[in-house]
Amino acid sequence: MSYLTGVCNFCGTGCGHVLNVEAGAIRGVFPSSAHPVSRGRLCGRGWHIHELLNTEERISRPLLRKNGVLSAVSWDEALDFAAARLAGYSGREIGFWASPRSSNEDVYALVRLARAAFRSPNISVLSDVWYRSTAGILREGTGRPGAPGMIADIRPADFILIVGTDLTRQNPIIASDVHFAARAGANVVTLSTRVTQIAKLSGTHLQNKPGTKKIVLAALAKVLSAGQAEGFEAFRKSLEDLRLEDVETLTGLSLATIRDVAGRLAAASRAVVIFSTGITGLNRETTALLFNLFLASGKLGREGCSLIPVTGVANLAGANDMGAAPDFLPGWRPVADESAAAAFARCWGSEIAAGRGRSVDELLADASSGLKALVVCDHDPEIAMAAERIRSLEFVLYLGSYLNPFMDAAHAVLPTASYAETDGTYTNTERRIQLNRKKIEPRFEARPAWKVFADLASRRGPAWPYRSSADIQDEIAQMIPAYGQATYPNLEARFGGLQWPADAAHPQGRPRLGGNPEDPRPRFVAVGGGFGPAASTADFPFRLMAGKSYYYWHLNNAMKKTFIPRREYNALLLLYPQGLVEIHPEDAAALGLRDKRPVRVVSARGMMVPQTRVTSEVPRGTVYAPYFVGAMVPDFLLPHADAVEYGEDAVIPVRLEKV
Amino acid sequence: MFVLSKADVPRFLAHLAGRYELYGPVLHPESGDTFFDRAADPSAVRLDAPIPTNTPKFTVFPHFERILSYKYDQTTKDVRIIPEELVRPKALVGLRSCDLKGLLCFDRFFLGQEFVDEFYRAHRRKMFLVANTCATPFPQCFCVCTDSGPYAAEGYDVNLTDLGDAYLFETGSDAGRAAAGELGLPAAGPEASRRRDAVVDRSIALFEPRAVENKAWISRAVNRLTTGFVKNETWEYIGQQCFECGACSFVCPSCSCFNIEDVNRVNGTTDRIRTWDSCSFEGYARMAGEHNPRRPVEDRRNKRFFCKLSYSQSKKYLRPGCVGCGRCVRVCPGDIGMANVVTAIRREITGK
Repeated sequence: MSYLTGVCNFCGTGCGHVLNVEAGAIRGVFPSSAHPVSRGRLCGRGWHIHELLNTEERISRPLLRKNGVLSAVSWDEALDFAAARLAGYSGREIGFWASPRSSNEDVYALVRLARAAFRSPNISVLSDVWYRSTAGILREGTGRPGAPGMIADIRPADFILIVGTDLTRQNPIIASDVHFAARAGANVVTLSTRVTQIAKLSGTHLQNKPGTKKIVLAALAKVLSAGQAEGFEAFRKSLEDLRLEDVETLTGLSLATIRDVAGRLAAASRAVVIFSTGITGLNRETTALLFNLFLASGKLGREGCSLIPVTGVANLAGANDMGAAPDFLPGWRPVADESAAAAFARCWGSEIAAGRGRSVDELLADASSGLKALVVCDHDPEIAMAAERIRSLEFVLYLGSYLNPFMDAAHAVLPTASYAETDGTYTNTERRIQLNRKKIEPRFEARPAWKVFADLASRRGPAWPYRSSADIQDEIAQMIPAYGQATYPNLEARFGGLQWPADAAHPQGRPRLGGNPEDPRPRFVAVGGGFGPAASTADFPFRLMAGKSYYYWHLNNAMKKTFIPRREYNALLLLYPQGLVEIHPEDAAALGLRDKRPVRVVSARGMMVPQTRVTSEVPRGTVYAPYFVGAMVPDFLLPHADAVEYGEDAVIPVRLEKV
Repeated sequence: MFVLSKADVPRFLAHLAGRYELYGPVLHPESGDTFFDRAADPSAVRLDAPIPTNTPKFTVFPHFERILSYKYDQTTKDVRIIPEELVRPKALVGLRSCDLKGLLCFDRFFLGQEFVDEFYRAHRRKMFLVANTCATPFPQCFCVCTDSGPYAAEGYDVNLTDLGDAYLFETGSDAGRAAAGELGLPAAGPEASRRRDAVVDRSIALFEPRAVENKAWISRAVNRLTTGFVKNETWEYIGQQCFECGACSFVCPSCSCFNIEDVNRVNGTTDRIRTWDSCSFEGYARMAGEHNPRRPVEDRRNKRFFCKLSYSQSKKYLRPGCVGCGRCVRVCPGDIGMANVVTAIRREITGK
């Protein structure tokens, strides 16, 4: 057999794919018809993953920086050097950055390396700001930090609400299910400022004014004005600030529309709510409001009803479950929980840094944090976000499969196996844990990441007992009750994997959370008030929103190593080499701006000169900037980090000047 | 016409495996997916398996193929072309009629026109093709509408039809007849072709009503597409649902678009790679100077349907480009497989 089943490693949908292996190399990819999530489909990215797996732009050998140049060395020399350098720092001086693309085993091993071998509590994952806050809200509201629902609920749904995010671009196969549901008669409502493809495919498009999703969701919750669960009274009070008669002025949506949508949500017997948790996700307040709205509508835990926070990267959810967090140990056990710390110390046979650490983002942002060394796994965007600070660190160790701009800042670089070159489990956006088997030997001199971590650890203390990633998964199953049944033999026996909690009481996992007597009683999550209008002033009359584009995925380090997606990206780049901002035709006419001509975008804190794309996909008074040119990030978005933290709902007041 | 008893199927497969690399429908144990795959063990070939997810086109037109490898010496400026390994002869067993028709379209595209594609020819010339009459259609199959099944009338070395107790073994080439002789197969009786026709008729009767209804509509669609009478709004409606993934092209037995890239390898050689491509991508038709005759998604979408159904394209293939396998229906995230496109054109004509 040369077609071998596996799990796609791009976004968090967790599609089943089949890789064509010829003479020890990956030569093609097909969808798996029988896979429970993707059912025979892949997206434009997934259909080209074999091109990435074939790229020659790999880190082929261990490298150490000598006289300023990265030079090839033996594995032993590189490991000895890296372990010795890291040993020169206290745990608090080192930060560990886990990758949301790594397997659960690799992230778990990195957590052990950080907390046990180097006694560092400073560990976090890319995108943690967004996903962790979402998971935290779900944990607070349902007792469990995972999606209270499943993708399989989408197709038979009679009502679907999509908040923000162009799902057809970010998680296309989930969007496909929405489209099939719409064609079967489901009532699909999309709340987004921009006219995205999913908005066009929806029966109802709520085109809110930029930065007002929170207000729209609050208004929906307020007109529902129902809720049995604990915390409702406090939630109702927090909505008192919002006067329903102001909603139309604030959001551009009439109260009648809001009442209509709220009514449809309440009346639906099979309702699904979908939102993004990626870098274009919602901020904490908005996510909390959305959760409360879902709870207030009486859908939580009900058969056929789901709330799905979609993850943008393959194992973003799993990496968080594995404890790549400064304040949680594996399995979302708070660091303050002494019994948890003791259990891990016992399991790992050493003391651990059990205290609360800081996320790498925080350490980098704070010039006085004392951060001196950084261990980074397979990261793309962060180098653009904090390049100067990272370059100023005393020691940076980068581990990854593909050549990466991070290497410029690294003192040591270690090549790790791609997901097709080692066994590993991955947890998708609906808590589905899937086993992806090794297809080919690691290319060049790459080694599985967990093995590299074990080799670093053994130079610092006692050797780890793992002989394979299956051993690590067994330990995960033992230490994280929700993953209790997720061992290789069980995952192998069940095509499509298991949805956690998969414990002794639920050996088959649980597709749906909540609704069982054994489940913690759901409760409303506290939200603050404050429903003011989004800022725009006479000086800065336009409201700019930032977002992603299809082929420009995570600053494109992966996409540009393929053939077709890279060509598609280049086609866009050739048209708009300076990046683009979208503007409504009437605004363009008023300002004398023409398509593809440069335009100066000025805010209170930044300035950039991208090109104009004139389109009625954006409403008047609004500018949309898909960030697909590296310079847009440091020149413009970084000075607005506080606004960008609002994710999808971020709004930056700007003015446009003809160049 | 000969008879191959069911007990003799392994002997037939072993006979082929001794002479060719054997490919056929293989069931994946863990998922239940069927793939047309290399079968190191001939017993893995399942003549009764469901329609494979992939098409056999990869055996002549690989998904990702090195077609040339060279080394350039910086100092001497010498270019040395590294000889490719010889292509091994392949036997494809259990080809569905639709997939065989796809290969015939390929023959016209890669061999039958002004330029002959050497790489295709290297794969294609040393092949033994065993077709298998489809006794039961699958949901979304519509080969009856595109003159491509369920029985293959031409293009095979051997065609098998399951008559219940045995296979009818029809030969379509000297190689096929030689195989029958070497296996010592008995000749089929005079009733054999009648029994085969009964199998085919029963199969046709099992097609979903929609496939049969669409038969007349496909010829109407051919007419409309050829004469350019499909309204722009219809293409826009279809284009709006396109996710631009390229899946329809990748699973299509007759889609032959490709892309060429030179890849500098870590070991110092350069590989020229040919990969599958799709006209649904914006970059596919992009020309120098920013010109792109097919920028909007609907213009790219309709290009593919012209290729599958227009009369001018069919003249090149000597048959419609669409072979009715229905795979584009199953893989499309936007639910705009061929059947729905024909339905959209039908609605345009009838107004309902």
